[in-house]
Amino acid sequence: MECTSCAPVDGAVQRSDKPHTFLHHEPSQCERCEQAVEARVVLRKGEVWALKFCTTCGQTEAKVADSADAYLEAWVKRGEVADDTRDHLFKHTTSTCPQCLALLQAEVVIRRGKVYFKKNCRKCGPSEALVSEDARYYVRAYTFARAGTEPLKFAAEVKHGCPTDCGTCSDHEQHTCLPIVEVTDHCNLECPICIVNNQYSNHIALEGFQRIVDQMVEREGQLESLALSGGEPTSHPQILKLLEIANRPEIGRVVLITNGLRLGRDRTFAEAVKASGAYVGLQLDGFTADTHEKIRGRDLSKDKQAALRMLEELSIPTQIIFVATRGVNEHQIGQAVQLLMEKDFVLSLNFQPAAFTGFGGGSFKHDPMDRLTIPGVIQRIEEQTGGKLKVSDFAPLPCSHPQCVSLTYLLKLNDGSYMPFGRFVDFQRHGTLLKSSATLGASPEIHDALEEVIHDVFARQDEVERGTDILKALRRSLDVMFPDRKLTNKESVLIGEQQAKSIFLHHYMDRHDFDLERLRKCCHHYPQVDGRVMPACGFNMFHRGAAKGPKTEIASWGKKPWTTNPPVNAAGPASFKLPVLK
Amino acid sequence: MKLLEGRTALVTGGSRGLGRALCLTLAREGANVAFCYSRSEEHAAETLARIQEQGVRGWSFKVNVLDKPGVQKMVRALEQEAGGLDILVNNAGVGQVVPLALMEEEDWDRVMNTNVKGAFLVTQAAIRGMIHRKRGRILNISSLAGVKMMQAPVHYCAAKAALKGFTEALAKELGRYGVTVNCLAPGVLEEGVSGNLPQPRLEEYLRNCALGRVGTLAEAAEVAAFLVSDRNSYMNGATLVLDGAV
Repeated sequence: MECTSCAPVDGAVQRSDKPHTFLHHEPSQCERCEQAVEARVVLRKGEVWALKFCTTCGQTEAKVADSADAYLEAWVKRGEVADDTRDHLFKHTTSTCPQCLALLQAEVVIRRGKVYFKKNCRKCGPSEALVSEDARYYVRAYTFARAGTEPLKFAAEVKHGCPTDCGTCSDHEQHTCLPIVEVTDHCNLECPICIVNNQYSNHIALEGFQRIVDQMVEREGQLESLALSGGEPTSHPQILKLLEIANRPEIGRVVLITNGLRLGRDRTFAEAVKASGAYVGLQLDGFTADTHEKIRGRDLSKDKQAALRMLEELSIPTQIIFVATRGVNEHQIGQAVQLLMEKDFVLSLNFQPAAFTGFGGGSFKHDPMDRLTIPGVIQRIEEQTGGKLKVSDFAPLPCSHPQCVSLTYLLKLNDGSYMPFGRFVDFQRHGTLLKSSATLGASPEIHDALEEVIHDVFARQDEVERGTDILKALRRSLDVMFPDRKLTNKESVLIGEQQAKSIFLHHYMDRHDFDLERLRKCCHHYPQVDGRVMPACGFNMFHRGAAKGPKTEIASWGKKPWTTNPPVNAAGPASFKLPVLK
Repeated sequence: MKLLEGRTALVTGGSRGLGRALCLTLAREGANVAFCYSRSEEHAAETLARIQEQGVRGWSFKVNVLDKPGVQKMVRALEQEAGGLDILVNNAGVGQVVPLALMEEEDWDRVMNTNVKGAFLVTQAAIRGMIHRKRGRILNISSLAGVKMMQAPVHYCAAKAALKGFTEALAKELGRYGVTVNCLAPGVLEEGVSGNLPQPRLEEYLRNCALGRVGTLAEAAEVAAFLVSDRNSYMNGATLVLDGAV
């Protein structure tokens, strides 16, 4: 399924309150019983509405403003505040107490050009957390919000409200762009930054995996990508069989997310991965012994080199996944970009500002007031690439919550060099080009957007840096992406990735910066063998356990991770306690 | 205020015949008018002088519409000189009375190139600024022979029919930038390509024309002036037949 937000999916159930563009959460009251609820503020048919779910009265709604444009303009203006030490309240949201993990209201404040959450837990006291290193980016990101896409089928009903109904329930604001199937909880590393909670108890059964794949196809129709993760998925004894199951026409790209140890050592295995047609998501957070030791627990320099050599030798299409951590590897961000630019087999780069959750990450030494966030990583990209890439080259991804992901595409020019789309595309106008996808897809929406971009560049080719070269490259892309025959999903992906590389920045949440509003529109989901499709950060925080490290318990209303044998009551415990807003 | 006050127009093949009539009518309506020509400098000088007599600015360029660099240079120069190009009239065209059986490949190429490729090259150069400014009017001069089944040379009919398709597709492509593209399809006029009809064909035309006469250049130019004006703001992708009801 194409995800950008705009095209309704054939066969999807249309709700009376949709289509709308989810913008943000705000504290409100039920229209009937006046109980405190958290409203979803949405833009619908040029107006602004608050959608409210009350556990007693059900769904109600109230108009907030007559003009969506005026509301959005005022919203952005609200964020234009003096650059001083005072706290300027921007909005409210629901976050978590970093101590007891209870859901509680947070003030979102701007202070000295940065964004912080201010929280006060009745039990544990006040806390603060840095949320964004650039308030201007944070505020402007909301203007990128676009309507979500309905899946063909939801996995859960709305009974208790977000995040207890996961998932996903029909109040979720986005379908699954990227299903991440955790095929094992075994691993051959114990990473200090690990965000999961490996129990060394499960390898997913082939039938369970088959069921997940079938269900995802049933819910989404077409999937651009499906990722196999873990644990370390290559430790699954039947990993090649799993790749085979996932390799089906409805799925454009199967990605094996791995630390690369086995790939570097086991040529036969690497050749089998190549033969399966899978892509590799290689965890690579640095280039020196000390960064590996701090983030992954030991010096993996040689192992990573071996994996990179093997991937290059076998031409396995690869995405590099770089967990960017304050004070540890932030100085090597530019090297990762250089690797992307220089190596043909590296198609995309995914920076993940470290989230301090999970077995390792939950107890990783960090300062919640001084951490890397998306704007900080972008800033370092500009600094460390000598301006080859600039801050202005990046834009928030409208498909997810705009605070979750930022990206740029790099158009491959005919001389082999790359030009960031941000230099010749106005991403506000051409939001269709911003997709949760490593490459450009050959959809009608992309065709229209590219055609408009071509006209824009054509008209301004004297002003646009290397305008003539860009036009030639776009012409090449149009020719191959839209030939005079229908492309299969896989062909479309293959051709698209020859045209442009991409850099993504995806900031997973933890107990400090958890924002229920962001979870609401999450599009990276963990499908479970029992049929649930769990939005990633909600799953990491409340359902998997280990949000504060190994001894953290699952929330009282949490639903455990998958097991090889699905629980008898696949819908979860019979009754939940609604989390109390404090 | 005149119909085209303050606008800048470019007419291809503008030194004589319908092209000249177009230039003079647009100038009379207040437009600054440039035209290109490929042969007679004498005619061009006369047309330019008559444009300037109207109290507007005028420019002439000796450029063949098939000379891509020359066309680009012309448009660039005009845009710099006039501050932008608002109106393009693709008028340049050639015809030839010859049956298909005797038509040489060169005949075919010459007619198709001048009538169709020429329009493509000039339009491509002109739309750059129009897209940038989000404003523009393009008028392609086709012919009744391109929209109606007639006994006329096949290469000429094919070329004029191509201009209709060119108009429709381009209208779709450029509408989002505020640029409209229309087509004028005159029947037989007093002068120009269709004025050289063999006598029997002309008599047949007059028998079938409700008005019983050929059109004048001025009549075609008057309609064209309206079509490229801001008063004609919603017509896009249309082909207007001007034939006295044949």
